[in-house]
Amino acid sequence: MQKMVMEEAQGQQDLLYKAVEHMQDLGAEFADAKSQSVRNTGISSVNGELRNLVRKGVGGVCVRAWIGGRWGYGNVSSFDKDAVMKAAEDAVRNAAGDKRSDLSLEPVVVKKHMKAQVKIHPDSVDLTEKIEVVRDLDKVQSIDERIINRIGSYSEEIKDNCLVNSAGSDISWQEVRTLCRAMSVAADGQRFERYYDGPDSTLGFEVVKDTDIEALGRKTAQEAIATLGAVRCPSGNLTVLSDPMITGLLAHEAMGHASEGDEITKKRSFLTDACGKKVASDIICMYDNGTVPGAHGSVPFDDEGTPSTCTKIIDNGVYNGYMHSLETASQLGVKPTGNGRAENFGKRTWVRMTNTYFGPGEWDKDELIAETKDGILTDKMVNGMEDPVGGCFEAKALRGYIIKNGEIKDIVQSFTLTGKSVEILQTVDALSDEVVLDGGMCGKGIEDWVRVSSGGPYMRARMIVGGGQ
Amino acid sequence: MNGYITEKAMQALKKYDQAEVYVSETVVNTVYIDNSKISNVETKTDKGMMFRMTKDGRMGKASVTLNGPGAEEDCLSMADSVLQFSPVNHDMNPYVFPRSAKISVPDVFDRKVAEITPDVLRELAKGVIDNCSVNIPRAQIRVSTTSSHVMNSNGVDVSHSSTLVYGHFTSMTVRDHPGEGIDTFHGTHLTLDPAHIGKELSRKANDAAVCTGFKGTEQMTMILPPGELGDMLFSSVGDAIDGENVKYGRSMWKDSVDSPVASEKLTITDDPTVPAPLSCAFDDEGQPTQKRPVLEDGVLRGFLRDSFCGASTGNGMRRSSVEAQGAYERTPVIKPLNLVVKPGNLTREQIIEQTDRGILVEKFASPEADGLTGRFGLNVRCGYIVRNGEITGVVNNALLMGNMFDCVKNVDLIGCDSTQMGVITVPTMSFTGTELVGN
Repeated sequence: MQKMVMEEAQGQQDLLYKAVEHMQDLGAEFADAKSQSVRNTGISSVNGELRNLVRKGVGGVCVRAWIGGRWGYGNVSSFDKDAVMKAAEDAVRNAAGDKRSDLSLEPVVVKKHMKAQVKIHPDSVDLTEKIEVVRDLDKVQSIDERIINRIGSYSEEIKDNCLVNSAGSDISWQEVRTLCRAMSVAADGQRFERYYDGPDSTLGFEVVKDTDIEALGRKTAQEAIATLGAVRCPSGNLTVLSDPMITGLLAHEAMGHASEGDEITKKRSFLTDACGKKVASDIICMYDNGTVPGAHGSVPFDDEGTPSTCTKIIDNGVYNGYMHSLETASQLGVKPTGNGRAENFGKRTWVRMTNTYFGPGEWDKDELIAETKDGILTDKMVNGMEDPVGGCFEAKALRGYIIKNGEIKDIVQSFTLTGKSVEILQTVDALSDEVVLDGGMCGKGIEDWVRVSSGGPYMRARMIVGGGQ
Repeated sequence: MNGYITEKAMQALKKYDQAEVYVSETVVNTVYIDNSKISNVETKTDKGMMFRMTKDGRMGKASVTLNGPGAEEDCLSMADSVLQFSPVNHDMNPYVFPRSAKISVPDVFDRKVAEITPDVLRELAKGVIDNCSVNIPRAQIRVSTTSSHVMNSNGVDVSHSSTLVYGHFTSMTVRDHPGEGIDTFHGTHLTLDPAHIGKELSRKANDAAVCTGFKGTEQMTMILPPGELGDMLFSSVGDAIDGENVKYGRSMWKDSVDSPVASEKLTITDDPTVPAPLSCAFDDEGQPTQKRPVLEDGVLRGFLRDSFCGASTGNGMRRSSVEAQGAYERTPVIKPLNLVVKPGNLTREQIIEQTDRGILVEKFASPEADGLTGRFGLNVRCGYIVRNGEITGVVNNALLMGNMFDCVKNVDLIGCDSTQMGVITVPTMSFTGTELVGN
């Protein structure tokens, strides 16, 4: 099999050392080399039919040379020594050109070799059992003839990484991610609606074992049917009680992307020079934390070998700090925060989030609803979009409810939320006492997808709501 | 070389009822611009394969990068293990059978792209920078060469070579209230015009910098240029004509073949005969492609299908219109090859002149409609308000709401400025019946 077990890691390290030495010999001021082997299993079932069942094994090497304030990259989907040395030469050649700066990088030097901390490694579970989970997840959604699509899915990713650099780091680690999901599509002849749910993690197969598959599937089907009766959401500047998913989008899309160090060094972010300034109500704290146990965006090291950290971005309403890669940390004279990430060995490494969330408040969720006179309660998200330049928030909610005099009334169909992020955060007057994280994929611009999570508590604020048609 | 690997792999798959091998190899060169300076240059090589096979109603599938000795054996081992555990299904559609090409090989290979050097890439980037009067905080130009080969046990044996040129550019004014511009380039040849892109980036950022917030709520005609309309049509019409969505009953148009679903002004053809990122004579399963009507004068003429759905129309694709690497990792899915909206004869200026009350959207936060329902409620990052045929203001921070399945029934005017946007070629168009909501 293609998997690179830890005993084989040393062979990879030797190859990477040679590549780094080669780049230094060719003139690199700093160089790193990373090998990666990724194994995926994906299973999905639609309406009782196994739609997809696939295993993948991809792997290769990324080498980088830093010369005159500029990176040169060489990527190759091969572990062959000659191919990797050729990539090293490409990297040095690509870094050539007019000197950009005298900036030197200051990596944290780490020598560590880690296995994934999971209870049930997916490798130890028979494929039959995984297929059964997916088929069960599909089958249990069959509760009503209005459910026209029952979709069950399972995926696992096992990623083995080795990294060495010219500063002396020598690291290997494994990341395991396991998730399953149910999605139901309901139709009544007039319209379609959908609902989804399911766990995600950097855990092993225990995340599936701990899930009540029948309850999960039945719930998605019931909620999809319920949404068929949804009315159009009112539009305007309204009180919104955002659920953890939408709260997380506000953290991730509106404030998180704008807190990425490269957006700051380019002065592309509306949060440039914001440290020490009031950007939210006093009850708001916000974090990017790559060390949350089991969370989908957690990583022991970023793709430059910097150990993950917890960055406090907003501290009781006051802007506190940014996320950094090696390059942006050096540009701003601070320590790297473990946010230099890449989609895989073939993609660019730059500042990316991990688990980004608002901290909790003191309200019980039900009390918070009861104390809201008029408003909209959101329920799950469709997507969101960043706006580091303009500081605007945009999120699409899958559905929601109208709150009237502290009671949940009509269910409303999908709608859009927007507004200036800082203005929204200034209006936050209540947070629930529990933080929930939701895993997903984050692109920067329009590509370079990395695994992250975002979340927070239920949050009450004023936002512009567009009810759709 | 790909041919040798594919043939060798097919030999190893002889014991199965059906087998398919797909091999792709790419070379990708990218130049990045950060803050109007060239930052990184990347060179990537990527090669891999996917096996698919069936035996006694079971299916196996696996993909690997060809990254060392034994990769093919690993791929076979993984695919076979999948097959052993796969449930039995005797209703699977067969893999593609060999057929003659229905169209000539489109002109999708540019030797200049295949032979590009980092210096040429840097010159292109420099051309954009030099022609842009505002800052370019983030941009990239990526050029790729792909060669692929698919063989199957039915006798399919098809090769494909193409080049891809993709650019994504952002610009920004440096003021208290900065404006942002975005431009893209999609193509197969090195026809990217750095000077034009640089000037457009300047114009868009400067216009966005003077936007003011829209107040109130108003019914308006929505005017979308190709950059925004391409994604809006792809996410709605693209989903509705997807054969898999039809198979599973989740297409809005599933029962509407030969019925009117759109304005009679709207004609859309899937046309792989002209140079476009996914144009090809055979799809990635080896099925011949052809120019195919999708909508004729608003009447739905059919759906796009791959071998999974049966009666393939030659739309089973692994390749992407923007990203060359990793095609071998992807299971074929239904994709339009090049959806072409029949252009009208109006310039964008004439469309504006003929609009009483509307908004020309320069930039949405994210132009996308819900493929299932058609609904959209999109943040306008920069839009021009049109009153009585003239632009009277530039607005942002407003939500434009509507439903794309209604919009295609309410086509007002169609422009003549067709532009390639990924797998769709569209002109500027206007649609009635949308609503703008401000603060």
